[in-house]
Order: sequence, then C-alpha cells, then structure tokens
Amino acid sequence: MTHGTTGWHVPETDLRAYARGDLEPPLLWSADTHLTACAHCRAALADVTDPVALDAGWDRLDAELDAPRPGLLESLLLRLGIADHTARLLAATPALRRSWLGAVAAVLVLTVAVAAGHATGGSPTLFLALAPLLPLAGVALSYGPALDPTYEMAVVAPMHGFRLLMIRTVAVLGAGLGLNLLATLALPGYGLRALTWLLPALALTATALALTARLGPVPAASLVGGGWVAVLLAADSVRAGEETTLVPFTAAGQGVSAAVAVLAAGLLVLMRDRFDLSRGRTV
Amino acid sequence: MTPTVSASGLSLHYGGTRALDDVSLRLSGGVTGLLGPNGAGKTTLLRVLATAVPADRGAFTVLGHDPGTSRGRQEVRRHLGYLPQTPGFHPDFTAFEFVDYVAILKELTDRTARHREVRRVLDEVGLADVRGKRIKKLSGGMRQRVALAAALVGDPEFVVLDEPTVGLDPEQRMRFRELVAQAGEGRTVLLSTHQTEDVAMLCNRVVVLADGTVRFDGTPGELTAQAAGRVWSSEERDPGAKAGWRTGAGTFRNVGDPPAGAELLEPTLEDGYLLTLDGAGAEVTA
Repeated sequence: MTHGTTGWHVPETDLRAYARGDLEPPLLWSADTHLTACAHCRAALADVTDPVALDAGWDRLDAELDAPRPGLLESLLLRLGIADHTARLLAATPALRRSWLGAVAAVLVLTVAVAAGHATGGSPTLFLALAPLLPLAGVALSYGPALDPTYEMAVVAPMHGFRLLMIRTVAVLGAGLGLNLLATLALPGYGLRALTWLLPALALTATALALTARLGPVPAASLVGGGWVAVLLAADSVRAGEETTLVPFTAAGQGVSAAVAVLAAGLLVLMRDRFDLSRGRTV
Repeated sequence: MTPTVSASGLSLHYGGTRALDDVSLRLSGGVTGLLGPNGAGKTTLLRVLATAVPADRGAFTVLGHDPGTSRGRQEVRRHLGYLPQTPGFHPDFTAFEFVDYVAILKELTDRTARHREVRRVLDEVGLADVRGKRIKKLSGGMRQRVALAAALVGDPEFVVLDEPTVGLDPEQRMRFRELVAQAGEGRTVLLSTHQTEDVAMLCNRVVVLADGTVRFDGTPGELTAQAAGRVWSSEERDPGAKAGWRTGAGTFRNVGDPPAGAELLEPTLEDGYLLTLDGAGAEVTA
C-alpha cells in the first residue's frame, strides 16, 4: 500500500496482528505512531477486526499517545533489546547519565595518553591503577539516599531493593567496563597486560557492594578505593624497579583478585535482604 | 471490621534519641491526621508504617500482612502508596515519565496497562495537561501533585502522606486538600501534618504525637472538646495559661485552666491540640 505524504502504510498482515494484539515492538510502535496520523490505515484496521478487539486497540493507542518519547539512553537500551520497563529504571540511574559517562571517558583518554607517552615496556601502571576505580565509583553513585532522589520511594516499592541494585549495577558495570575496554584497545603495545585491571575492577566493585549493605554506597566505595590505593602504594614500595610489574597485576595478584571477587559476590547475595530497608534517618 | 493497619508497642531509637515510644494504633478507612510538633516522631512513625525502616520493638500488620519478614514486607508494599516528606524527582523526567518510573517500581510491567494507569492518576490529580512537561519546569504545587500521583499509582489501599501541604501557597493547599479528601474515599490515608487546618478540613480521625508517644487518638470533634471550658479571653497575657497568643482583635486567647470569672470562648481544634501537647512543644507567643 502506498498512500499519504510518507508513502508508507501499515501492511495488512501487521494490521491483523495489531487487531489481535499479537504485533510485537518495534513493529507495534510503528503501527501505533502511524495509526494516529493516518485515517486510511484506521479505516483499514476497522475492516480487518471485530469491534471489541478494535476498542482494545484504540485503548492501547490512547495509552501510547501519552507515552513519552524515550531519551537518548533509553532509546539505545531499547534498541539493544532491553525491556521498556528496565530501560526506564536504568534511565533514572545517576551514573549512566551522559555527564558521568563523559567524565569517565575524559579520565580514560587522559590516562591512556599518559600511558602511551611512557610506553617503555613493563605495564601501563597509571591506567591499570585507575581503571578499576571508575566502575567502582559508577556503581557507588548509582544507588543510595545521597545520590538517588527517589531512593525513599524505591525502598518502599514492591520491587526488591537488591533487584534494583543489581539491574543498575549490571548496567553501570557494563558501561564502565566497556569504556575501559575501549581504552585498553588504545594500548596495543602492552598486549594482555593492559587487561589486568579487569579482575581487580570486579573484586573492588563486588567488595564495595557487599560493604554497602552495612556502610552505605559512598562510604563503602571510598573505603574500598582507599584500600586499593594503599595496596598499590605498598606494592610499589617493594617492587625491584620501575620496569617490574606491580604485584596486583601479576598472575598471583590476578588470582587473589578473582578469589576476592567470588567471595564478595557470595557475601553480597547472603546480605541481599539488607537492601530492602532505608538507610536514611529522619525524626 | 478488620483494620487496615494494626500496630502495637512500636518503639524506635536513633542512637540516644527516642523517636517512638510504645506507639499503638489501629487505622481503618478514611483520612487520619497525624498531628504533632517538629521532632514529635511523625515522620519516623510514617516511615515505620511504610516499611522503610523497622521498629526496634513492637509489631504491626497492614491488611493482615506482617512486614517483619521479607515476603510480608513485599506484600505490604503491594498495597502501599507513599509520599515522603521531601519527595525527590529525577528532574529531567516529565511528569508522565516519573509516575511511569514509580509504576514500574510497583511492578506494573505491562506497558499498555501501566501507561493507562499513569494517565488515570495524572488525570485524578489534575495534571493531564502538563503530563509531558519536565518536572523541573513545574511549580512547587504541581510537583507535589506529581508526587501524590506517584503515591496513588497502582490504586493502593493504604496511603501514607508525610506533610504534603508544606511549602504550598494557600490556593495550592486548598487544591491539595481536595485531592487528598478524594484519595481518602475507599482507602485508608494517614496524613502527617503540623497544621490543624489540614486536620479540620480533611480528617475523620486525628492522632496527636509528641515526644514519640500518642497523646490523643479520636475524632477532630473529640480533640476540640478537650478544650471545652478551657479557653478564655483577656486583655493582657494570662501568666497562668498553658499557651496564649494575641488575636487579630488585640485581645489575648488563652488555653489552660481559666481563672474564676474568665470570659470563656468557644474552643477550636487548635486549642484542643495545644492542651493535648501540654508542654511537649506547645509554643506560647505574645
């Protein structure tokens, strides 16, 4: 069918599926949008459906008309196949906002530039030291009374606090690790050594999340981040020379990071019910 | 009739501060006003009943569900609407997006049904025309109505509103009271406030809280009756009065135990409230 200014109309098979309620997104959204503006397709829809189903279709269309146009992040998540309700939850995550991702990207670019400028063998120590802290900070900033303006409402909602935390953590961790991986690609001279930030990143994030149940997200992340810096300083003080790799980025150090990540993840699961109550205090 | 909320012996301490002390109450349909001075424990009681924080001692049920367990807490939350004292918003969200976000937290995952429900509550609070507007561009009164819509989405049976009229101008306050009265039809609403006008206009029951304890529990008429024969007028502030303030006519209105021959006045809800506090935060002004 071709008609109207756009030259496109909803195919009859889609109209029939629409009338039955079987049409799936994104075809459903296309049909919804088009039907609001095209009298021809509305008439065609009336011809292929019974009145009761048609009423249900209009009802659905009414609801769609009020639906907001998703923002950039939400649209991207929908295109990646994320369910619309999960995408909306993630759009409200502070650490996924453009400003945060932009700041992370800027820090990484700077770090890679510094590392690339001193590519004299060994490991890109500054990059490896900083990269685990970025997803750690992102996760800390994605949840909690200090940074989530709707925290109190979210806590008393039936969706379990741990589930919300995990949805946001996976998304923030995915974005943070993705940016780190892109930065790693800019350091081809180091080979796999440039990837030795990954296990420490997972260990630090899992440990901070486990401590969040008791300390709150920002203090927990600060404590873990401080601990990481202390470990690096201690490792630096005992290494033989500048070309020697710091212990956390050696095979033994990676093993310890993996073990810590697994233990912390287990502890986190055991403490999941603690995320179900508010941390704020008001008389 | 089974009460919506049944609480007994609720106590909660924050460090050395006693926020709640042996609070017991039962709530059924309609709007109950929770009156009390600042620091009386109103917000703490609301947060306990909204399952945000657990009490140190005591127990309560909402619609028969015990929030002491994870499963019971989730059941309570499925029947709960909550407007916190300072509701936070994601400022870049529109009114529709924000209520939609809260609806998702309330497990309304079907897109069509959820959007229909969001539209219904926004219509109910009179925001149909601005549902596509960003929250940061809405007035304070409209933001408060967005928060009320978020509390009402999903048609909860128990609604907790923490000082919802604070910061609103008189016209917005009147509009908001109408909405709360409407929300109280067929639901149990617990409304915290320090404004007796809110209680007088909205509530079929009032609970006065001071120093973490319940000082009064009854109808607004019964609270007013507490002051019968205990309010009098004088040319100068009466030093024997528990509270006294200058009225617009230039005379003093006193509450307490009147001296012999005092010119008694018709009591109001505010008089009864001040007498119920009996030194626990009543402000005496001249």
